Amino acid sequence: MKAGLRQSMAWLHTWSGLLLGWLLLAMFVTGTSAYFREEISLWMAPELHHSEPSPETPALAWAALNDKAPDAKSWDLRLPDARSPVAELRWQPNTPAAPDSGRRRGEQAVMDAGTGDLLSPRASRGGDFLYRFHFELYGVPRIWARWLVCVATMFMLVAIISGVITHKKIFKDFFTFRPGKGQRSWLDSHNATAVLALPFHFMITYSGLLIFMVMLMPWGMNAAYQDGWRGFFQDVFPRDEATSEAGAPATLTDIAPLVSRTEAAFEQPVRRISVDWPNRDNAVIRVSTDKAPAVTDRRRGGNPTLVFNGTDGTLLERQPGDEAIPGAFRVYNLFVNLHLARFADPMVRGLFFLFGLGGTAMVATGMLLWVSKRTQQLRGKAPGGALRLVNGLNIASLTGLLGALAAYFAANRLLPVEWAGRESWEIRVFFLAWLLALGHALLRPNRRGWIEQLAAITVLWASLPVLNLATTDSHLFSATAWRVGALAGFDVVCLILAGVWGYALWRVVQRRTIRGQGPLPQRPRPQQSMAQDPRSQRGARTAGDGA
Amino acid sequence: MTVIAVTLPLTLAYAGLTALALAMKRHHEAALSAKPPAARLRGFRIAGWVLIALMVASCLRLWPTGLALSMALGLVTLAGLPLVFLLPYRPRLMVRLAPILPVLALIATLILT
Amino acid sequence: MSRLFLQRLATWPGLGVALRTLIAVFGGYALAACATAALSVWLPTAPATAVITANLLSFLIYTVAVLWAFSTRSAARACAGIMAPTLLLAGLAWLGRAENLL
Repeated sequence: MKAGLRQSMAWLHTWSGLLLGWLLLAMFVTGTSAYFREEISLWMAPELHHSEPSPETPALAWAALNDKAPDAKSWDLRLPDARSPVAELRWQPNTPAAPDSGRRRGEQAVMDAGTGDLLSPRASRGGDFLYRFHFELYGVPRIWARWLVCVATMFMLVAIISGVITHKKIFKDFFTFRPGKGQRSWLDSHNATAVLALPFHFMITYSGLLIFMVMLMPWGMNAAYQDGWRGFFQDVFPRDEATSEAGAPATLTDIAPLVSRTEAAFEQPVRRISVDWPNRDNAVIRVSTDKAPAVTDRRRGGNPTLVFNGTDGTLLERQPGDEAIPGAFRVYNLFVNLHLARFADPMVRGLFFLFGLGGTAMVATGMLLWVSKRTQQLRGKAPGGALRLVNGLNIASLTGLLGALAAYFAANRLLPVEWAGRESWEIRVFFLAWLLALGHALLRPNRRGWIEQLAAITVLWASLPVLNLATTDSHLFSATAWRVGALAGFDVVCLILAGVWGYALWRVVQRRTIRGQGPLPQRPRPQQSMAQDPRSQRGARTAGDGA
Repeated sequence: MTVIAVTLPLTLAYAGLTALALAMKRHHEAALSAKPPAARLRGFRIAGWVLIALMVASCLRLWPTGLALSMALGLVTLAGLPLVFLLPYRPRLMVRLAPILPVLALIATLILT
Repeated sequence: MSRLFLQRLATWPGLGVALRTLIAVFGGYALAACATAALSVWLPTAPATAVITANLLSFLIYTVAVLWAFSTRSAARACAGIMAPTLLLAGLAWLGRAENLL
């Protein structure tokens, strides 16, 4: 500590990164997958794949809701969009609500957008399991899990800033990458993935904390408002309580003209329709469109909306959703919306997916660097228990987790569709696979362990599209998968990732690195995009890591 | 359509970063000639920053301000990574791509959007 | 606690690190919390904006406190350097809050 700023920051960087690095890896992997959570959920529900949206969809949904829940308290209808080809119907039955209940439990159904039939997709948590795992883990009491995740995030924030302070030549070494030099190559990979994407890493970490600010730092709200956070939210999002009394029965007007009117008014496709007191004389219909892409908008509400009288379709209110927001709020929204990638443009989300992979690579290369350094310090002696443990945990949290992911997806295809317990069992398969990988990694915390697990995940991920081919009809050789782009995209990404793991495996197996002699001749050109290259450095390992 | 439109800022970022890399003696010697004069290094640095500025401008043309600036940062990252890996393996290729790619992107953007 | 135990503890090389860790983790949080409260109450804007601004800064304050606790000359300095501003800010926050409620 007495030895100067850089050194103390280096110490802090190492420990804040290493202690919870494994948790951070899991958070990065699941968080990255969450950018495509809806697409993953769709892939995991093949029963929905044949739905084809059409201009009749709103009317069909209207008829379905009238059929299923004519006396509901409210309806909420989500029309198909680029991410989801089905219509999602939700409704709140008109039963007396329990006093002071938080979320009233509604009911829901999924409708084929082309035919109007209600669909029953196989029971599965889909992409939501991974999304929730990212910030709530699984099987752990919710508040504890969130606090642990936030503590890990805080560790990461400290690691980022101490890392920047300790990196002496951060500008000079901006482009430096020296492959084939063992530990130095690990360091360069770590620096490259960390520094080049520094804006992303800082944003994702800081915004992660901001998302949970009510839980982590309620002291400002408690100081400024009598009611604490409730007072704050009431101030910012004043909620008009909907009328709690049903009116007399009346016919609901048609929805199609209201949809076209809203689309014309805002020049955006209609996404959401909500109705208070359907089939009553005080029915109110709200038709909302997508927002124009703007990262600083509010998350909740604010979509351009037209409000209609439910019985005769007269326009009651126009809510363009563009109220001015104070500067501080825009900053908050910017951070949070970037973290969640709320703007639906798939290309931008794809970009964030790549950055997420980069973040995973950053944490992974950091931890591999630590192992590499300690191994080198041993100078050929056998590694001790602590080093073997770290190495084993590294393997389990990287290749182990990736294998568990593939197992989760495979289970979705392999478990019987009608089986009542399949939803929990998909998740159990995930954890069992991870546990298996952990056991294997702890038994073989060395190069052979890496090779075996890399080989396993290459096979697993490559087999997913094949499994898809065998068990569904929305696979890569079918028209359906390409019509609903996300489905083909999923299989293609599986193949690409399998290629990445295969490349990493090849590099580790080859291991022709000779320390201190720079890039080898005839080294094949790194073929593809940035997402893969940080992984390829697994080939550049030191000699002493045991076989 | 956006995929094509994005190639322009992306390739401009690549060209700008390449120029900035060439402004450093170590990388200049690896990619071009040994012993570059200080004036040439400075020239590369200026060119690099100009290209980055052009890249930010092209982002502002495509998206609203908040998103544009975030995308600019993101695209610089994306453009930087292949560069970091080309530099040790194929430095001359890296340099040759730098003027070609933005021109191709500009043509593609003008024709296809 | 026997005297020998205390003597051993005092000369334990990890003591400084352990102390700094405690101060950084808990003291840093306290500092950030009191700063958030004080800013929320005293910033001359609408209360909601003040709260958001304070919260936006809070984690930065926490991080800087942690970094400082580990880089400053001694654990004792770290302790004093974190506790003093915390108490000051706590006082300010309490003052501001009391004013609001009166």
